[in-house]
Amino acid sequence: MALPFPYTYYSCDCFDSAAAVPTAKRASHPPPADDEDERTFDPRNPRSNYALYPLEHLLYCEDCRQIRCPRCVLEETLNWFCPSCLFEVPSSMIKSEGNRCTRNCYNCPVCTSSMTVSSLEPPKHPSNDDTGGLAGPFFLCCPYCHWSTLDIGIEFEKHTGITQQLARIKNGGQVVPSLKEREKAREKRHEARDGLAAAREDISVELSDAADPPAQEDVFSNLSSFYKSQLSLGASSHPFSPHHDINFSSPSSFSRIMNLYSSASSKKQKRDKPPPMREASSVAEGLAIHTSSSDHAAIQDLKLRGWDHTLTYSQKNNQLDQSVRFASELRPSPTLLCTKRGKRCRACRHILSKPEPKITSTRYKIKLLASNHIPRLSIRALSASLPLPTVPSSAAQGFDYSHLQPSATIHFLLTVSNPLFEPVRITLATPSTTMGKVKSKVTILCPQFDVGANTDVWDEALSSTPARRGGPSDSSSANSTQVEAGKIWERGRNWTSIILEVVPGIIEQHRGLTFGGDQKYRDDDGLVEDEDVLEIPIFVRIEYESDVAVEDRAPGTESTRPGGKEKREEAFWSVLGVGKIKPLQ
Amino acid sequence: MSATLTPTPPTPKPRPTPSKRASTALPRPPALNIDPSALIAQHASLAGPHPILVAANVVLHPHAKISSVHGKVLLGEGVCVAERAVVGVQGGPEVGASIGGVTPPTAGVVVGNGVVIETGAVVEAEEVGEGTVVEGGVRVGRGCDIGRFCTITAASVIPPDTEIPDFTVVYGNGLRRVDTTLKERTDLQEMRLVMHAKQIEVYKKLIPNNVGKWMG
Ligand SMILES: [Zn+2]
Ligand SMILES: [Zn+2]
Ligand SMILES: [Zn+2]
Ligand SMILES: [Zn+2]
Repeated sequence: MALPFPYTYYSCDCFDSAAAVPTAKRASHPPPADDEDERTFDPRNPRSNYALYPLEHLLYCEDCRQIRCPRCVLEETLNWFCPSCLFEVPSSMIKSEGNRCTRNCYNCPVCTSSMTVSSLEPPKHPSNDDTGGLAGPFFLCCPYCHWSTLDIGIEFEKHTGITQQLARIKNGGQVVPSLKEREKAREKRHEARDGLAAAREDISVELSDAADPPAQEDVFSNLSSFYKSQLSLGASSHPFSPHHDINFSSPSSFSRIMNLYSSASSKKQKRDKPPPMREASSVAEGLAIHTSSSDHAAIQDLKLRGWDHTLTYSQKNNQLDQSVRFASELRPSPTLLCTKRGKRCRACRHILSKPEPKITSTRYKIKLLASNHIPRLSIRALSASLPLPTVPSSAAQGFDYSHLQPSATIHFLLTVSNPLFEPVRITLATPSTTMGKVKSKVTILCPQFDVGANTDVWDEALSSTPARRGGPSDSSSANSTQVEAGKIWERGRNWTSIILEVVPGIIEQHRGLTFGGDQKYRDDDGLVEDEDVLEIPIFVRIEYESDVAVEDRAPGTESTRPGGKEKREEAFWSVLGVGKIKPLQ
Repeated sequence: MSATLTPTPPTPKPRPTPSKRASTALPRPPALNIDPSALIAQHASLAGPHPILVAANVVLHPHAKISSVHGKVLLGEGVCVAERAVVGVQGGPEVGASIGGVTPPTAGVVVGNGVVIETGAVVEAEEVGEGTVVEGGVRVGRGCDIGRFCTITAASVIPPDTEIPDFTVVYGNGLRRVDTTLKERTDLQEMRLVMHAKQIEVYKKLIPNNVGKWMG
């Protein structure tokens, strides 16, 4: 519970009513199931943690007439965009190119801030002061920590298409052969290898001429093309396939099993013995062999350049190739894309929130907030509200919410404000004693009352200014002793406040004293966590009349008077966190 | 707002920061040495009893403050001091403990050629090397020795008596790295200085120069 006292949480019962949701599409009266009605919401229940939200976090489905919390909405990705260049990326491209920007956006591998393209060309003489000095080699540079691609020996010829250029340059500046060239080279090697007698020799040959180990992408592409060829060719064309590695844990036998189930080849392969697949046996096929020389090189590197040359865990984690260890192996990392998401009701699939599709806009097309449909309950200590009406921060005025005096009557002011355009009748209910070990008494002095409609602010300001603070001004000028059962405390345009009388329970500090009958707490030495927090569950029922929604109400489904008003009713549990009880000395 | 140098050390006070109101009325001391090519904007202030040297092409933006109350200040060629930045040892508890009513002079501040001190930074360092950039809101403590071509990124705090080697970038929450790009490429270093010189030329076109007032 992160909010400071006093706070109000609203409960979404989506978990408990999950079974009822699919059938409840047309049920405009939220059916808090029969037993649900009788059961008192327990804020101490561990499960309640997942059902309570501040009002600001909740959406509202107008179709289901229910609160929708983050658990009972469906998110859908509307579009992808790069947070750096704010260009939208079509979702087809996400599938083919991945979730990173393919334009010129890169993040610094050292500090993650976004990098800029700079020119290496010395600035011209001030005679031509124009910005068109885009010549000479370029490099990516971090404006914050000053890491640049020059550190890894990479320069670019053009200032655009950095991604394509970067893909062709290795650290140090060597040109990487393109995919086609690599394919060709691989095929050549294949032919050469087929001529050789044994695969084992092949490894040694490859190792001797491979001065530096292939990059991870190369290993991957080699391996994937090898597996593809294995799958398509079958074992007969591979006379050297080793048969000894067939067991159930080997990937070859796994793909063989998968092959059995695939419809195309299963019949044929059932007749012959399924061809065993062999593993990659050379570098060209994607075999990565651990060499001690690379270890020696790493140790040498460490000795030579020290600890500063190594990467931190997070730097390593941000790299595409996470096997890198040294600063010289860093690559600028392309910016990760972001999404814009819409939210739908999980029960009826209606859209609850939808941002504008334009990437540069942060506004929403649709946003059904619970705070526009559900009365807002706010609570504060009555004594805090009284003394200085001029001081804006009245809530904390002279009242210590984190040290409530046990067994002393405290009055709290509960204000219910109505966002709807119809007057609303509110019925509140609460158990007379709170649950848990510390039993606090709670009395709602006025459990049923009306709240005015949310009319234009100017209506109130222009017409009924004096009528507004009728009752309260009298009482506040007199004293706070006028707390009376059955009467509302104060009323405004679209809000009403009532008094909540709370007698905080006594916290039993020591074991062996009178513990409540709760078996769970018997052996506890002191307090269970947050046991001293006084949270009051309140059941809120709203009744109001509203115009019949035209598109929604088919005749016969509800008790509607055509064209007239319709009685509506909503109910939910909320939890008022009023404070912490002071332990008894 | 413009203050002149105070001829005598300020009288010992619990907080011996120079009072501007008091110093405005006082005549300028002879220890102020300003190159005529410097650009000193209106509302920039140079004050203090110890010598202040302003070399060629120095740019002092409006409301930049050079204070030699507790020691000399030397600004190298092409130094830029931005708005509300302060260069000079500031009054503090240690310095305030004056002997016999006279605050002992500190080593002062020496700022190397082409150093940029950005908005709101406070530089009390003993020495700032050539080509270093001190970004906005930075506080460089007394007695620090900052090397050449360093970058102290925005809002960093360098505690007193810290030595920062050449080409260091201080970033993040006190992280450091060596600016290998700049260190290994002398052409980039030159480029940085050339760009800085161009920047100063632009400033000279944009900011009305008030240097005459200080030349005496
Ligand atoms: Zn929910
Ligand atoms: Zn981008
Ligand atoms: Zn960086
Ligand atoms: Zn719905």
